[in-house]
Amino acid sequence: MTQPHYELDVRPILREGGEPFLAVMQAVDALAPGQSLRLLATFKPIPLFHVLGSRGFEPTAREIGNGDWEVIFTPTESQSGGEASQAESANNRVDKADEAWPEPVIELNNCDLDPPEPMVRTLEGVETLSPGQTLAALLPREPLFLFKELESRGHLWRGSFDPEGHYRIVIRRG
Amino acid sequence: MMGTALSRWTMSYFTAALAFLVGAQVLMIAGYGFPAVPAEAPETLTLVHMVTIGWLSLLMCGALFQFVPVLIAQPLRGGRLVLPALICLLSGLAFLLAGFLQLAGTIDTDLPLLAVAGMLLPAGFLLVVGVLVGTLLRANLTLPARFVAAGLACVLVTVTLGALFALLLSGFLPALAGLDFRTHALPVHIAVGLGGWLTFTAIGVSYRLLPMFMLSPDGERASSRVVWWSGIAALVLIALASPIVAMVEGTGLMATPDTATGLAATLGLVSLILYGVDLAFFYRHRKRRVIELNSRAAQGALLALILSALLLLALLATGTLGQHVGALLYLVAFGWLSGLGLSQLYKIVPFLTWLECYGPVMGKKPTPRVQDLVVERRDRVWFALYFLGVLSGTGALLVNQPDVFRVAAGATLLATLAIVVELVLARRLYNVEDGKRLPDGTSRPRLFLPSP
Repeated sequence: MTQPHYELDVRPILREGGEPFLAVMQAVDALAPGQSLRLLATFKPIPLFHVLGSRGFEPTAREIGNGDWEVIFTPTESQSGGEASQAESANNRVDKADEAWPEPVIELNNCDLDPPEPMVRTLEGVETLSPGQTLAALLPREPLFLFKELESRGHLWRGSFDPEGHYRIVIRRG
Repeated sequence: MMGTALSRWTMSYFTAALAFLVGAQVLMIAGYGFPAVPAEAPETLTLVHMVTIGWLSLLMCGALFQFVPVLIAQPLRGGRLVLPALICLLSGLAFLLAGFLQLAGTIDTDLPLLAVAGMLLPAGFLLVVGVLVGTLLRANLTLPARFVAAGLACVLVTVTLGALFALLLSGFLPALAGLDFRTHALPVHIAVGLGGWLTFTAIGVSYRLLPMFMLSPDGERASSRVVWWSGIAALVLIALASPIVAMVEGTGLMATPDTATGLAATLGLVSLILYGVDLAFFYRHRKRRVIELNSRAAQGALLALILSALLLLALLATGTLGQHVGALLYLVAFGWLSGLGLSQLYKIVPFLTWLECYGPVMGKKPTPRVQDLVVERRDRVWFALYFLGVLSGTGALLVNQPDVFRVAAGATLLATLAIVVELVLARRLYNVEDGKRLPDGTSRPRLFLPSP
């Protein structure tokens, strides 16, 4: 692994109150095989450790002063097999046992959004997933239009009503 | 086009409906039908059925094909029958209107036009009801869906009576010619058609649609259940008033149709008051602070509904219902039903257009917001003009000023045309910024036909 880190500084985004998640996921998608990601943030981004861990990256974090953190996400051995085979094995796992759905890497609460925003935000989240990863979203009602869209894009989903009458859907990217 | 979640022919139903609304208003301004001629004249019947079948029923059918699946979270069953239903309804209505013109002496032909209408219209409505009931049967019915189901039963009653009238007027069914249909069946045809089919169904749809777009709590409320039961009781009483009276008299007790009608009116009023309470609850408890124009304009329709109820009470109290029934029906049809219809079209058309156009790229590409398809600030004035026109028109009818009525109807028509233009612009994505209008992977929706 001699290639340089892919550099991503999300501190400006964070200081402006923005949400850097999309930028991080785009950077991860842009990595060359075996390349690691060097991320600079204004806090220790623990949630990302889990998200990128499920995509086969190991984090090494250190404080670099002024409360800022540098995290290097290094791809592990198992990841180098390629995403396609990883997705395939995930698929097989699901086919064999229902409980094999991985924990959601994104949790969204879209209950208070105006239609069709709950659906738009949910699909935006789904677009950032790798095949086999899951996203959970809380929606104001059973999303008939979303089901059709998920079906036509080849994603799987499960859902049920919570006690307050909201609909919780877990989507697994196909 | 995304899957089958979008109803393919709904825009075609809406287009035909709006054409009839505009056509009927043009005739009214030209002085055709009531109030220039009596309410029961064939010219008035032409006008009335352009509004009730051409505009309101086609609007309602188109909306139900789209929203019944949303109400019960099940796909539409028998969607192939939706286009044949539209063809039956349109051709049946054409024969019906021609048949009335034949009665008026405008058309001179020996063809049994009304009898043909009496077959085609029931066929069309049966297809509509078949598709929707077939879909509703797949789910446990929530309260809004129960209102729709009751409305569908009412349209069958209305259309059966209508077909009987058509056959009688054509000289068929001589065995029934001795019955006094005008006294016994006509009030049922009107009350079950406007009160059951159109109003009950509209109440059901609004119970879901208004909370959905205002982000209000939409759990089932006790008051909504009372609206349902009292409304059903009122409709059954109206439909069965004559047989009930005959039965009561058979036991030796005194009863008149007025007793049953009075009780039905009281129950109907209870139903409407509690419906108003429910809607006030939705507006007060909405999470959406800025209220959109469709919900604001719906308030005008609700106001017209309340005014209709008050007018009915006032006319009953003064014994002038027979004299002013035209004004009351005008307020119900144009203020309440058409007002609600236009206000909800103003949301439904952009929403469906947005889904049709941007659904395939949702989440992948930046898309405009649904609100970007219309310009609310510009359109507020049209809705205000619409309701002002309807209120002035009702007033003019009450004080017998046909010329003032025509001016007021002119204002209503102008507002209607402006709203129609805005709907066309929304379909055309005209108000969306050039750069955002058609991202890669999208295609421009057709004006009123389904995407290929």
